[in-house]
Amino acid sequence: MATVTLSNVVKRFGAFEVVHGANIDIKHGEFVVFVGPSGCGKSTLLRMIAGLEDISGGEIAIGGKLVNDVEPADRGIAMVFQSYALYPHMSVEQNLSFGLRMTGNPKADTDRRVKRAAEILRISELMDRRPRKLSGGQRQRVAIGRAIVREPQVFLFDEPLSNLDAELRVQMRVEISRLHKELGATMIYVTHDQTEAMTLADRIVVLRAGHIEQIGRPLDLYDDPDNLFVAGFVGSPKMNFIKAQIVGQDARGVVVELAGQEKTRITQPLAGAAPEVGSKVIVGVRPEHFGSAGEGDTDLVVAIDVVEHLGGTSFLYARTAHGEDVVIQRDAAKVPTTSEVTVSIRKSYLFDEKGLRLR
Amino acid sequence: MRNRNATAYRFLAPYLLIFSVFWVWPIISSFMISFQATRTVPWRFAPGFNWGRLIGDPAFFNAVKNTLLILVIQVPVMIALAMVMAVLLNSPLLKARGLYRFAFFAPVVVGEVAYSAVFRLMFSLDFGIVNKLLNSIGLPKIDWFSNVTPAMALIMIAVTWRWAGYNAIILLAGMQSIPEDVYEAATLDRVSKLKQFFHITLPLLKPVIVFCLVLSIIGTMQLFTEPFLITERGGPGGGTETLGLLLYRQGFRSLNFGYASAVAYTMAALAIAITLVQLWLTREKQ
Repeated sequence: MATVTLSNVVKRFGAFEVVHGANIDIKHGEFVVFVGPSGCGKSTLLRMIAGLEDISGGEIAIGGKLVNDVEPADRGIAMVFQSYALYPHMSVEQNLSFGLRMTGNPKADTDRRVKRAAEILRISELMDRRPRKLSGGQRQRVAIGRAIVREPQVFLFDEPLSNLDAELRVQMRVEISRLHKELGATMIYVTHDQTEAMTLADRIVVLRAGHIEQIGRPLDLYDDPDNLFVAGFVGSPKMNFIKAQIVGQDARGVVVELAGQEKTRITQPLAGAAPEVGSKVIVGVRPEHFGSAGEGDTDLVVAIDVVEHLGGTSFLYARTAHGEDVVIQRDAAKVPTTSEVTVSIRKSYLFDEKGLRLR
Repeated sequence: MRNRNATAYRFLAPYLLIFSVFWVWPIISSFMISFQATRTVPWRFAPGFNWGRLIGDPAFFNAVKNTLLILVIQVPVMIALAMVMAVLLNSPLLKARGLYRFAFFAPVVVGEVAYSAVFRLMFSLDFGIVNKLLNSIGLPKIDWFSNVTPAMALIMIAVTWRWAGYNAIILLAGMQSIPEDVYEAATLDRVSKLKQFFHITLPLLKPVIVFCLVLSIIGTMQLFTEPFLITERGGPGGGTETLGLLLYRQGFRSLNFGYASAVAYTMAALAIAITLVQLWLTREKQ
């Protein structure tokens, strides 16, 4: 069973700590995506699982076996690099078979594995070519093929699509998803692109500055973020944040007034303790949760700056009376032609001043 | 557009003029001189005089033999040594890397006369440290300057000492341009460090190695300083006389410019021929 368990994993470069005690349990066959902005420690975490970086503290177990001091080659993993890391002087066939040939794997078995990988990735006709004669997408397939021939317990992907153009990225995303279904192996995937994370993952690990902010299924993160960072990072366009203040409490929950807009109040049910009246809070509203006037708790007048038409959907880039930027999603047919529009807030999230979600 | 080109050429004119007078013209002129008998006054056109002599001159064949011998033995040894030095310099385990890099490169910037004098002292029969070391481990002294074989070995040692570090720095630059993740991929593929060197580093360094070989071949074909200064003008008895030294002896000691020009063109032709053969042997096979 190819489970991967990280227990309190720490990474330091000299005195500088870049991963601060990561705890993650990855189940057999699961597709887990590490996502976060540049420098958040996601690639470092992946490289520690691969054994390419030493672990400064904590434990990593693969398949229930502690691998802290196990050589990378003996961890039962295969990795696909961002730059593909193909051997430029070898043909595709040689790239795929190199590792097996060097370790004295029987030729018949090597040939079988290479043939199978080539068929899975549909690169059989490219076997005699050198990497420089391949397109970006083809190189990526070869890099994945090199991982497949190792028949690993766990696949590691380090931003494998970031060097591809947008169209190819979508295509390869689907390919990787298909591959996961076909192989049924555990896969850990690093990306800074939240769309990739949302579309590929069984579970997402959101990282920031070496801390795990939240772990959960894509839609759980989207619908129920733990904090301001996750709320802002997951979803495109990102969630709107509007400054507000607690002004009271009624039977339905706390009453929040948007900053600088008297009478623009929303009521938010809270299971936990309500903050004191007068506390500063942040109201988060996803672009699609703005409704037409009268649909929600309260109406809000915004001035439209720019409208982006994407076909079926349009995005209105607007400003509140208090000068806060908001993005509103509308059906293309319902885009207002006026410079001002009244919208309502149908659903919102509440965060305290530290950015933690108030539930 | 023609106007703009004319302006550009006007700016280039001083350079082109100097280039033509001091670079292009001597090349043409020496080629023409090689067809003249230059030991008569005035010089006269005699196409077969120098080139004919070349074919039957034992001194010329001796110089060719010596030059090629140095080329065949010293260049591969030096490139192999440079490779070892580059690998050491590239090792993450090495401390004080900058110091070593400087030490390896230093021989190139040391004055030729100074280094030759030091080599003469080091290899001196009675006072040299090399013979003292040989004696201390029970080996007999070697008379490096009076016998042909040791003298040739001395030339090769000196040239290797002078240029190995230079080549190592070029190879090091090549090694550092190989992306680290290619090695990481190989490590994950369970390929040992030694196999990584032979199956990844060496093939990827091939263009740089070829470059070093071409430079070394050209340099050796023109070899002059070491046999002139260390083994005293190609001694003993012409045993270390190279083509460069023969050219100098004919041109500037016997003032036989016609023959010296013929030797110069032969040197260039040989260097080009050997380099072409080598490029053909190491060409990219698709």
